[in-house]
Amino acid sequence: MGIGTVTPFLDLREREEGFLHLLPGRVTELLGVPGTGLTRLGLRLLAAPSLVGPVVALDTRGWISPEAAWETGVTPENLVIVRCDQPQIWPKVTAALLEGVRALYAEVPVGAKDQDLRRLAALARARKVAVAMRPIGSGLPSGVAHLRLRALGVTWEGADQGHGQLRRRRLVLEASGKGAAGVSRRFEVEDEGSDVVRVVSHVVVGETRRAVG
Amino acid sequence: MWSLGRPDAPSADPVLIVDDRVTGASKEVLAAGVTLGMPRREAEALAPFATVLIRDPGEESRRFDPVVEAIEVLIPRVEVVSPGLVLVPISGAVRFYGGEDTLAELVEREMARLVGQVRGGQALVGVADGPFAARWAAATSDAGRPNVVNDTIGFISRLDLAALRESLNADELIDTFRWLGVSTLGDLARLPREALATRFGNPGLLAHRLASGEDRFVESREIPADLAVDTSFEEPLESLDAVAFAARALAERLLRGLRASGVAPHRVSILVEAAAGEPRERIWRSADPFTEKALSDRVWWQLRAWVESGGVPGGISRLRIAPADLSDEGRQLGLLQDETSRIEAERALARAQALVGPDGVLQGRAQGGRMPQERVAWSRWGEPPVDQERDPSAPWPGATPSPSPALVPPRLQSLEVEWDAGIPTRVRLGTRWEPVLTWSGPWRLSGRWWAGERDADRYQLVTSVGAFLCVVAEGRAYLAGVYD
Repeated sequence: MGIGTVTPFLDLREREEGFLHLLPGRVTELLGVPGTGLTRLGLRLLAAPSLVGPVVALDTRGWISPEAAWETGVTPENLVIVRCDQPQIWPKVTAALLEGVRALYAEVPVGAKDQDLRRLAALARARKVAVAMRPIGSGLPSGVAHLRLRALGVTWEGADQGHGQLRRRRLVLEASGKGAAGVSRRFEVEDEGSDVVRVVSHVVVGETRRAVG
Repeated sequence: MWSLGRPDAPSADPVLIVDDRVTGASKEVLAAGVTLGMPRREAEALAPFATVLIRDPGEESRRFDPVVEAIEVLIPRVEVVSPGLVLVPISGAVRFYGGEDTLAELVEREMARLVGQVRGGQALVGVADGPFAARWAAATSDAGRPNVVNDTIGFISRLDLAALRESLNADELIDTFRWLGVSTLGDLARLPREALATRFGNPGLLAHRLASGEDRFVESREIPADLAVDTSFEEPLESLDAVAFAARALAERLLRGLRASGVAPHRVSILVEAAAGEPRERIWRSADPFTEKALSDRVWWQLRAWVESGGVPGGISRLRIAPADLSDEGRQLGLLQDETSRIEAERALARAQALVGPDGVLQGRAQGGRMPQERVAWSRWGEPPVDQERDPSAPWPGATPSPSPALVPPRLQSLEVEWDAGIPTRVRLGTRWEPVLTWSGPWRLSGRWWAGERDADRYQLVTSVGAFLCVVAEGRAYLAGVYD
């Protein structure tokens, strides 16, 4: 009989890093006000799929900059930006993209209908498309997102009363939904502008458990 | 090889015909230093006096069709490479007519007869072993004097390296060869093939094959009959729109079927049956395996040529496309590439483009600049990327440092910022004022005064809900980016 120990801290950290990967056929919702860093995070989620084929960022405001995506590791020649500023055709455009692309980051315009969003989620499931949705207004209706990442706050390092420059961002996220096993978890994401994003767990459990084998 | 004229060109003025590169030019324009294949912008700079016309391959195909038909009367199985260039396998015809010279002269005479009928025509005829050598035999012949090459290897070895440009579409590779002291195809053929393959990969290998007179390698296979696709129309198609739609659908179907079999066509036969007339067939060839777009274009050009010239009386009642010269070229993918997903993605993007318009589906390339707005060169998806206006690898002192803002408005947006003795204190976001927690800057941005640009100061403002890149010019603040 052997005796082993398990550190929950490591286990949690691996799980939280898993939140920052898109899953085929699943919708990840990025919820938070503009300025918290969710656009950059959404583009970062396209980095891995962009290694094997074209990925799309659906831009409803015409403001998404590919430069930020390149910095996070998205392959430049595989990134296509689709600009759709007409909310009435947004569901059609999204559906057209879901029919063929493998990974999509989509801003959801204000006033998008729940029914359309549910249909699009079903289409993403059927087509095995990895989707990150960023609602510009309120959140997605229930049942659409497999995982919800809500931005709780952002802090910047580097700038100091006129000196220095913005260098590092710490984004506090709360993961919830089926993708988080139904339990809300808070963690931090550190971003220094490169494609390396570090996950820092807030949930530090000092004790160890004994496993019986 | 047939030089096509443009009926809409002004008769007295020099003319430049372009798509994104030069595809045709009159003598005066060529004398100014313009060469075929040169980028459009460069050609326009060299010949500002020329009238610029956009290439219309469909119209060219229609005007070239009588020439193809005339050759087909003499020799069957004509292969159209592009409007203006046909390849004809002549081994059978040589036996029938009694020799290569006799046959070449016969074709030349037939072409000379057509010169009087088809405006702008001038025929160049060449005979050699293989499509590449024959194409350059024709290109180096004089009008009225066919160039029959007996020593194909010797002929190719004397050609300048520029002869490879059309086949390889790799200007940088050719420039590198020149830099290494290789100026003719003979020089290139004398280099060890393994060394070229190791150093330059597939393009180097192809260049060596062409220079050695081996031409394009095509792995011929027995073509199962069921790989051909056809469709019949209860109501014969007469409108060009309907024909275009049918051409595209059938071309896509053919390539989908071929892809499933793991092969790609270099030649296709397009056959139509007219509602009231004889069936017509034409063969098109491509050096590279046909893509969906390339095949759709050729089918469309050919059908348009037949429809507009009245060659399909009563409309098209049946359309058939059959592949030939199947090879596995074009299936050499990178380690991580997934061609199927790429093709599906391209279809999806084409549908999205139809919904949002061509300016709504974009790709960016990095370029130099100090502001985030300047650092991306946008081009429409599916079109050749635009030239970078500024070199991204050059030093850009004073450029806004990374991380870059993820949201960049195309133009600076007005922003309300409250200042206290030159220090930003509050910023208005929507309807509320957010206190500035910290900031960096100002960083001076000196404008090009000679171009009317203003000097400005940049600030990075950090609030509790995020950070913003702000530009202050002439006492007013503007939003240049959101670090979202």
